[in-house]
Parts: sequence; C-alpha cells; structure tokens
Amino acid sequence: MKKMKEQKLDALLSQYIDGALSEKEAQQVESLLAEDESVRKHVAELKNLKILLASQPKLNPNIGFWTRFAVAMEEQKEEERNLLPFPRKFLPAISIMVTAVVVVVGTLVIQNRMQFVQFFSEKSQAVKEVYKNKILQGSLLPLFSKVDKERALQFSLFGTLQLDDKSETALRVDEQSEKGYRIEVGNNLKNKTKSVTFDRFVSEVKPSAKQKKIIDSLLDLTGRRIETSVLIGENNTMAIAPDLPKLNRLMVTNIASCLEPLQRVNFERLLEANNAPYTVTVRSVPAGKAGNYFQRIPKFPQSDRFVIITPDTMMYSQIHINFDSLRRQVEENFAVAEVRREAMLKKIMAKGFQRIPRNVQFSTPDQFFSGEEFFSVEINVPSEEDNQQPMRVVVQPRFRKQFLPPEIRNHSTQMRIWKDTTSINIVP
Amino acid sequence: MAVPFPRSEWNGHENPEHIGVRGRSFVTSLLRMNNTNSMINDQAQPKPNAEVLREMDDEALITTFQSGDLDVYRFLVERYQERIRNLLFSIFHDRDFIDDLAQEVFIKAYQALPHFRFEASFYTWLYRIAVNKSRDELRKKKARRFFSFQTLDDGIEKELNVRLSVSPENRDTQELVAMGLQTLPEKFRTAVVLKDIEGLSYEEIAKVMQCQLGTVKSRISRARAMLRKALKPLMEEVQS
Repeated sequence: MKKMKEQKLDALLSQYIDGALSEKEAQQVESLLAEDESVRKHVAELKNLKILLASQPKLNPNIGFWTRFAVAMEEQKEEERNLLPFPRKFLPAISIMVTAVVVVVGTLVIQNRMQFVQFFSEKSQAVKEVYKNKILQGSLLPLFSKVDKERALQFSLFGTLQLDDKSETALRVDEQSEKGYRIEVGNNLKNKTKSVTFDRFVSEVKPSAKQKKIIDSLLDLTGRRIETSVLIGENNTMAIAPDLPKLNRLMVTNIASCLEPLQRVNFERLLEANNAPYTVTVRSVPAGKAGNYFQRIPKFPQSDRFVIITPDTMMYSQIHINFDSLRRQVEENFAVAEVRREAMLKKIMAKGFQRIPRNVQFSTPDQFFSGEEFFSVEINVPSEEDNQQPMRVVVQPRFRKQFLPPEIRNHSTQMRIWKDTTSINIVP
Repeated sequence: MAVPFPRSEWNGHENPEHIGVRGRSFVTSLLRMNNTNSMINDQAQPKPNAEVLREMDDEALITTFQSGDLDVYRFLVERYQERIRNLLFSIFHDRDFIDDLAQEVFIKAYQALPHFRFEASFYTWLYRIAVNKSRDELRKKKARRFFSFQTLDDGIEKELNVRLSVSPENRDTQELVAMGLQTLPEKFRTAVVLKDIEGLSYEEIAKVMQCQLGTVKSRISRARAMLRKALKPLMEEVQS
C-alpha cells in the first residue's frame, strides 16, 4: 500500500516538473509542496536530476562518419549480391572448417581402407557369385520371403503386404465385391498401408493362451502360403496363385472362428476402427462344440495352378514346384536371392509387360482384350466349391455396394495388366 | 580532440584513395555531387546544387530520394548523425561501438526509406529505428552475458557505489549520472534518455517507443525514481 502511494507520488511529481499536469493536479501538488518538507525535497531532487541529465556531455562530432558509412553501405550491397549460403565474412572460417572435415574424414577412410575395400568386394563378390555359379538361376523365386507373424497379420486384415519395410512396392489384394478380386503389385497404391501390430491385436481382442497359440500357427501358415503364392522368374515372368485374394478373407474367418463371442465383437470393432475390408458376422454356433476350435477352422485352399504372365503371353496352368526345397535354397542363400529378386522385380516394374501382343485370339476358350491403358485377359477358371461344411462364421467384404465395371463377366477370371503397375482382376 | 568539420571543405579533405577499394566507386560518385560540373548528367533537368539540397527540409529530401535520387541520403545522414550517435551513447555509454551501431541504424533507415509514408516526422521515425536497434543490441549483450556467466549489471552497481562513497570533491558527477543510467532496465533507460537528454515530448516518445502515452509517463517516473535511489548520495549533496 505504502509502495503504491509512493509510486503515485513519484508519477505525480515527475509529471509536475515536466509541466505535464492538468491545472487541478498542479494545484494539488503545490498545496502538498507548501505543507510537506519531504515533498519539497523530493521535487528539488527530481529537478536536479533533470538538470544533471540534460547537462550530460555530448560526443565529439565524428567528421569521418559519412565516409565510413558509405564504405559500410558498399559492403552491404556487396553482401546482398553474395550468392554463398552464409555471410561473406565467414568465408575464411568456413573454408578452414570444411578443409578440416575433409582431412579428418579422408584420414579415417585411409586408415580404415581395408575395411571399406573388404565391404565393397564382399558385396560385389556376392553379386558375381549369383551370376557365375548360376545359383538359383532359372528358378522361380518367391517375391516374398521370411513373411513373419506381423506381416502375415497385416496381410490378413488389410490385404496389403509391403515388399520390405522401406519399399514402396506392395502387393495388394482387393475383394471389391463377392464376385470380383484384384491382385496388384505396384508402387502407386492409393491406400497407404495401415498397420495393426500383433501386440495391439492381443491387447484389444484378449485371446486366451490357447487361442493365441492357434492364431500364431494360423499366421505362420498364412506366411508360408504368401511365400508360395507370388513367384517371379527370369525374363520378366511372374506367377500368381489366383486364390490368393481368398486367403486373407479366409484368415479373418479363421481368426474369428477360434474366438469367443465377446472377443469376436472386439475383433470386429478392431477391424472397423482400422477400416479393414472385412466385417465379421456370426450365423449360428452349434452347442457343445464351443471348445473345439480346430474343428471350426476351414481348410486352406491348396492349388498348384498359377496364372503365369510372361512378356509374350499369359496362361493359367499347373506348375510343379517343390516349395520346401525352394525355401531351403532361398534360406541358405538369402543374400543372393535378395539380389536376384531385386533385379528381376526392377526389370518387371520398369518395362514388364509392354510387349504383350494385342488382340491375340487364344485357341483355348480364353479371351484377350486390350484397351488404351491396360491389357486384360479372361481365363475360364474351374470354380472351386468354397467349403463343403456350412460356415458358422461368415466374413463378408465391407464394401458391398461397389459394383464392378460392366465388361467384367460372370463365371470368368479377368486379368488386367496396366502398363505402370501389374495388376490382375480375377472374377470367378 | 576532433573539431567539427566546415562543410564547405568536404571535398578537399576526403580523398577517396584512403578508402578501401570496394567503397571507392560509391564514395567517389557521392563526393562528386559537390562538384557542380558533374551534376549535369544525361537527365534533361539538372540536379539541384548540393548547397540547395543541404538547405532542403526532410520531407523534400525524402521525396527526392523516393523519386530515385538515392544520393540525397547523404544530407539526411549528415543532418542526424550526431543526434543518433549521442542517443546511442546515452543509452550504452560506450564510445567503442557507437559509430558501428549508428551506421547500422542509418543502413536500416536507407533500406526502409523507400517505404516511408510521412505519417510521422523523419526524426521520430529514425529514433524509432535507433531505439529498436539498441534494444536488439542490449538483448544480444544480455545473451552473451548469460553464456559467459558474467554479471555485468552487478558490476556497474558495485562500481557506482564505490565511486559514490568517495569524498564529494573527487567525484565526477557527469560520469556518475551516466553510470546510474546504465543500471536501469532498457525500457526505462530509453524513456528517460529520450525525455531528459534528447528533450522529446511525451507524445513523441510514445511514437518512438511505440507504446501508450500513459506507459511513457509511468516509465519516465519509474526511471527517475530508480535513478534517485541509485544516486542518493549525489542527490543529497546537490540538495545541501
């Protein structure tokens, strides 16, 4: 309170000596001055202070100011013309620093040159070996290898599988309606890949230890199945199992089958929250068999028939591959397989199937269409019976209303190959 | 001690050869302005004589500047250089870098002058640039002090107290007042310098410091109160 009063008085007296008070306020101060000795002293001090400040010595005029200023201006203009990313005055310091860094890095490289040489020679040796020893030459290689639990889950729930963690290239299967599928291998996928980790699945659905084990082994099976479903080979060939799009729907069914009703609701919620393409509904669960999860799980489709795409033709035929032996070979020469696979995929992506002849009439009932932007092939596929046993858990595509283009007919498989990506539409 | 230079003798004493190579062309062209013969260039209208320009008021000079004759900036600098130098000296009380700082102020003003709208008088506008510049400089100083772990302010206050404690006949009053100013925070110091040393009105200070009139009044009264407290022995002596 006292301090506030003091500040008020300070302000009043300060303005008084500047003559900035109104008449009324000035009179107020004068009466204060008349009656209070300390206020008189205060004002005298303030006046003295004002005089002391006003009589502060001035600097001697600087006669060379303009000359110096003109030089400084010229330097400023020079600096504005400076194209370097830093002020010109730092040029010596920065060049010294850059030299020092170059010297240090150079010294380190020279000191450790053997390691560098070794690293690069090993790398080139590996590539040389691929071609010299003809390792894996001529064989179809799986496009995906080492598909682990996380990636299998990713594929099961969303139908997308990245080639590797960094790659933009991905496989996408898309069941747009009950009638049509699409398999795409490309790097301009519209939907960014989503991800639900296994941990998140466990924390949301809360499977028991037993259920978890079953789901684990199901995912392992899926991984193996993916590995054997997309193959690439020399000379821009590619083989894709046409039942691949059924796999993820089947997996969602399988996972849902071994869950209890409440967990299934959680699972459905998880699918919906992440905009997964499938939705789970339950038809009926026979009483008395609730505990036996394995009985509920439908079989994985097994087929040795592949859609084979080469630069010249396209066919639907059986290929016999000993997948166990192929997997063993790939695992033994993993680095080599990687190099080879990368090279093959690059070739396919670069100019893949541009040379497929247009308007070819197959002697088989197959038909071949071509448009401005894509090639499409219809192949009659013997329709497989889905599952003999009545399914208790029904998994349906979420986007039912999306209709197919009119040119796609029933009872036929249509494959489309765009020039930039490789995609196949299969309509059973 | 340097003597103010008679203006008519500019040319004779400033030899462009003494200036760095980079500056020469610019300076030469500026110095040539005093030479009446070279004033007539390709333009149809001859430029006014340097003496005439020197007598022109601020607004006329700025209009000439804005119409493309950048050389007239020299007369504005000459007119205000001492005021700006003294203002900065009062704020910093450090002879060493006043000229550099003043230079920066005039460079800033040169860059901004094409956009000058005549809403305030030129010197208020120039003071504003100088005050902003000194505020930036004080901030930089503060930052440097922070990183160098020094407490310069305490140093000044201690030294001030030591000097105030000597016998009155050995005191340098002006020096003590200048040191007292240095102990004030920036906004109070600037306000009181503009009022009592530069002699600006409250309204002008409000324009320069870009704040309300009431704020200016309270800053000045606070500054005076702080100074009175800091220079107490001096005040009492004057009183007696």
